[in-house]
Amino acid sequence: MALEAFFLPATPGQRFALLHWPERACEVGGAVVYVPPFAEELNKSRRMAALQARAMAAAGYAVLQIDLLGCGDSSNDLVDASWEAWLADVQLACTWLQQRTGAPLWLWGHRTGCLLANEAANRMQCVVDQLFWQPVLSGKQYLQQFLRLRLAAELAGGDGRRVMELLRQQLRQGQPVEVAGYMLSSGLAGGLEKAELLLPHRSGRVEWIEVSNRPDAGLSAAAVARLTQWQAAGQEVRGTVVGGPAFWQTSEITECNALVQASLLAMQRAPAP
Amino acid sequence: MDIRSEVVSVLDEVLSLKGRATAFSLDTPLLGALPELDSMAVVALITNLEERFGFCVDDDEIDGSVFASLASLIDFVHRKLGS
Repeated sequence: MALEAFFLPATPGQRFALLHWPERACEVGGAVVYVPPFAEELNKSRRMAALQARAMAAAGYAVLQIDLLGCGDSSNDLVDASWEAWLADVQLACTWLQQRTGAPLWLWGHRTGCLLANEAANRMQCVVDQLFWQPVLSGKQYLQQFLRLRLAAELAGGDGRRVMELLRQQLRQGQPVEVAGYMLSSGLAGGLEKAELLLPHRSGRVEWIEVSNRPDAGLSAAAVARLTQWQAAGQEVRGTVVGGPAFWQTSEITECNALVQASLLAMQRAPAP
Repeated sequence: MDIRSEVVSVLDEVLSLKGRATAFSLDTPLLGALPELDSMAVVALITNLEERFGFCVDDDEIDGSVFASLASLIDFVHRKLGS
């Protein structure tokens, strides 16, 4: 397996990118673009993303991970990011990878990354398969949970109850808000709030995987509802649950090896008839 | 459903307590006493309780007193479940 770190020229500036490549370059069986989650979930899941990227490369996939605008080592600050700019970054990563290899394209999203991946897939000219890790279904609900970090931070003292109202007011007025050390612009909040995990128009298959620590866990009720709806509309989609910790939000950095194996298995199995 | 053991298992998972939560008594203090229970963990805890028990928490229900102790957290879940 080969690892390459570099900057991709973009507008504005550049994006930090990591490329995992199979040992034998002639054997690339698929091209995967990772679409990361948001804010602290991104940090918490870096290790799992790295483990998965390596496992994919060992299994014959070329995997490109990029830091979106305003994240990690890419240009600008988070406050400069917008939902549209992030969609453009996903497209940029796909185009770049497809120029390197003609192998079939996969978009691998995690949490809000699934919202971005799915929208990017809808806008593409070619068929793309998608791998979802614990997808966020509603950007609106996610934004509420994110803003609650400020509320939670003020629980110990202060006037917690008015916090949410003030934050929303600031965003409505076009001002950025600071939550858990992240400066969120009203534009990004607005884009996230409008994002919904809707039926993909142009996707090949969708492999949807959730993680749960409960021994008897099934897919979440919300996931079952969405999967049923998509299947009825003719979308090829499969849901899987694996056992393990919610590594994108646990206090410590945790691993879920079952997810790495399940993801490879899901990608490699033949499409359903 | 045993609400106490469900709450304890959510706490243990979200806070990465590696089984320590199973030794908590009802009056074990949480918010302000457990360093693992920072703002990220509070929000993760709420989200996980919502998913585990299938209820929906409003912003104005989120109050420091809910997270004061294991007993207050269990009480909150009971209230939300209407039992």
